[in-house]
Amino acid sequence: MLEVKNIMLFYENAIAVNNFSFTAKAGKITGIFGSNSAGKSSLMWTLSGIILDMRKKEIMRGGERITVLGEIIYEGANIIDMKPSDRARKGIVLCPERRRIFPESSVMENLRIGGYLANAAQARKTLSYVFEIFPKLKDLRHRNGGFLSGGEQQMLAIGRALMAQPKVLLLDEPLLGLSPAMEQRLGQAIKSINKEIGVTIVVSEQYARPLFPIIDYGYIIENGAAVLEGTAEELMNNPDVKEAYFGI
Amino acid sequence: MDILIYGLVNSFIYVLMAAGFTLVYGVSRLPNFAHGALYVLTGFLVWTFVNSAGLNYFVSILITVVIVALLGAFLYRFVLMRVRGMPVSEIIVSFAVALIILEGLRLQGIGGFKGFIGSSYTLPTFIDRTVSIAGVVIDAQRLLIVGIGLAIVIFMWIFTRRQKIGLAFRGMAQDEHAAMMLGIDSDLMAVLALAVGSSLAAIAAVAIYPLGQVTAETGYHVLNAALAVCIVGGLGSWMGAILASFIFGYATTFASFMGAAKYQDVILFGLIVLVLIIRPSGLFGRQKELEERV
Repeated sequence: MLEVKNIMLFYENAIAVNNFSFTAKAGKITGIFGSNSAGKSSLMWTLSGIILDMRKKEIMRGGERITVLGEIIYEGANIIDMKPSDRARKGIVLCPERRRIFPESSVMENLRIGGYLANAAQARKTLSYVFEIFPKLKDLRHRNGGFLSGGEQQMLAIGRALMAQPKVLLLDEPLLGLSPAMEQRLGQAIKSINKEIGVTIVVSEQYARPLFPIIDYGYIIENGAAVLEGTAEELMNNPDVKEAYFGI
Repeated sequence: MDILIYGLVNSFIYVLMAAGFTLVYGVSRLPNFAHGALYVLTGFLVWTFVNSAGLNYFVSILITVVIVALLGAFLYRFVLMRVRGMPVSEIIVSFAVALIILEGLRLQGIGGFKGFIGSSYTLPTFIDRTVSIAGVVIDAQRLLIVGIGLAIVIFMWIFTRRQKIGLAFRGMAQDEHAAMMLGIDSDLMAVLALAVGSSLAAIAAVAIYPLGQVTAETGYHVLNAALAVCIVGGLGSWMGAILASFIFGYATTFASFMGAAKYQDVILFGLIVLVLIIRPSGLFGRQKELEERV
């Protein structure tokens, strides 16, 4: 579905993503695990194209030089130079790190803004689906996004991304700062979203434990480079992974 | 009572003058310094259509609003887009466009063009009569300004909450990158924002000009007013802009009733300084840098 070849990303001379290649198979959940500053978010920005806008802004500001190299093959074409909004239109939607909810808009408005690319029928269908998997959002639908708790915001962020009718959903650290109970629930929700609407998911996270049960294939990223890959089981049985990501 | 009613009228004059500027800044973070020039251009275009082309007043208004909206869109697409992200250049370039328009209108001698100078250029009022409210005599045009101002506020409120484009505007205004991730195109939104913002300037012009004369100088005055309202209200905030308009509207009305009408600009800029000292981000501004640091 999404084939990423030899992505390199530099901020000035510092390398953030180093020759990273991976494949997200259609209808599967692919996990990318790594510690802070391993390059997960940079990779996600590259996949969604936001990095191109950052690069443009830095150029205009006379700031940091950002260099992106490599290929992203999606639907038979290389989209490495495509604008983020066009990528979203083609079905690659990022649900960003730290959620980035619209704080002054209500939950309902956040979802409606998310439905910018959807037609009326799609929007209605997805909205009822979002309320079905996250019933709590329905109760909170008139509350401002800024007044939600972290878990609620994350549900809203995922719901908002779903409203954009993704074919490939990129989740950047969806469990950041959440309680273990909430981690469990969101993990389950991600799995059911994947199953029920058949969307391909790429998820990045620091802690492997809550997500390992749901992923189909995983990569371990360190200093911007993939150091290990395998199915959830293979990774789980690897002694290095055990030590670093499960604390055993 | 006089102060109450004339203050209301003046407040809505400020709302009309600032609406387009606030919208453009809110959506695309572009300070459109050509705002006042588009306002003046509207006045002269309508005047020309009515007096030289002999068109119907309302038809000329309609054509002019469309022309000015298109001009706003072109202004972004061919000028501002190239410097977007360089705040100083954004100001210089849009101000340059303003100077070209305003001073171009005063230019004399090319092709027998006499230049729009002097006090002979006025737009007719829509309804030519006076009304008496609670003992205060007021002309219909001033009431119309309140009506149009209210209509614009209500229209914008519904537009940004019900319409897809309006919702996208709100998304863009709050978090540009998050909006992009959802498929909202930043450049397209800026083009639309400038088109809508420019047509708001045009509507303001046809509402307000019948009260006075159409001169190029008003362009600078309108820009000052819009800037003052936006700075005091908090850049890009609708609620703040409306509140600031009322503060300015009543402050200037009060001043002129106290016989200090010529100090209007002093009040305008004095209030800016005062607000910047007390609340640097404006009354309803977001202190974004602080938020991100926490």
